[in-house]
Amino acid sequence: MKVYLSIVIGLIGIIVGFLAQRSRMCFVAGFRDYLLVRDRELLLGLFTFLVTIWMLTSIMYSMNILKKGIPEYGDIVVRSQVEMEISGMNIRHLKLFGGLSGVSSIMNKFLIISLGGGWLMGILSTFVGGCVLRQHVLIAQGNIDSLYYIIGFYCAVFVYYNFLSRFVVNLY
Amino acid sequence: MRRWYLKPWLFGIIAGGMFVFAEVIFNLYPPTAYTFCLTCHTRDFVNTIVNLLFNTNYQITFLARRVLMTTSLCVMVGAFIAARVFNEFRFKKSTNPILSFLTGFIIMFTGIVIFGCPTRIVIRSGYGDVYGIVALIGIFIGILNGTTILKLISRVKYSD
Repeated sequence: MKVYLSIVIGLIGIIVGFLAQRSRMCFVAGFRDYLLVRDRELLLGLFTFLVTIWMLTSIMYSMNILKKGIPEYGDIVVRSQVEMEISGMNIRHLKLFGGLSGVSSIMNKFLIISLGGGWLMGILSTFVGGCVLRQHVLIAQGNIDSLYYIIGFYCAVFVYYNFLSRFVVNLY
Repeated sequence: MRRWYLKPWLFGIIAGGMFVFAEVIFNLYPPTAYTFCLTCHTRDFVNTIVNLLFNTNYQITFLARRVLMTTSLCVMVGAFIAARVFNEFRFKKSTNPILSFLTGFIIMFTGIVIFGCPTRIVIRSGYGDVYGIVALIGIFIGILNGTTILKLISRVKYSD
């Protein structure tokens, strides 16, 4: 356990929390506001976030600073990650056009799980009125609904690893 | 103190740059794209403490063996500081506690299964991960359906 790295992670959290409270940033409300009232401001925030990371990582990949490849998924290794030797799953290295091999390498169960999980996350976050980051900010502003949300959030970890994880590992 | 607001696009540039540079400077990998995630870091934080207390062997990532992941708590602290400094702290009564609890519960499950809260899914898409982009498309479809349902509910409620 390294102390200075823990402090770095904590500082990133504090800065992001401070800035998110000031800007009312939410990764779900952007698209929702655009659909409901045609307000583009938060959606613009999402896209600048995405574009900034895309451009910076492109530069870092080309300079060989960042490790080439794609995000690994914790201790669980998705099956196609082994088959395609990791680099197959970054969209920059993938040959999506002109041949089926590129497309078939990403077609597996995890693709459908990602799509379905994202769908569930989007629809539930719309009902409760904000993504996970926004709920963390709202609880700091004194919203009691978000307190229940966070309690459920922490309880779920216990329940998942005590009862459910053995069924889910078969899915990957 | 005078009110000071931050434009969301400025938040995008500052936060996005910070996440990438923090990973490069402090070598915060594996897994990559892991400088900020609320579900995964909460999972690591809780499981680290449970492993210490009860001597169990629940799953934590490689990075969590070096770092204590206090992101979830620190975001709350940072937002609380901001709310206090700019006088925006107000108690708001709960309207629907059971829905909120269940939503948090289910979102944690999905977050553990697809590896990321909405924030990290956007970060992973930026890194070029195919599954991150697919999950982002899924989120957009979910919001589309959710807003349609919200519109239908409001139409039924206020029609007469």
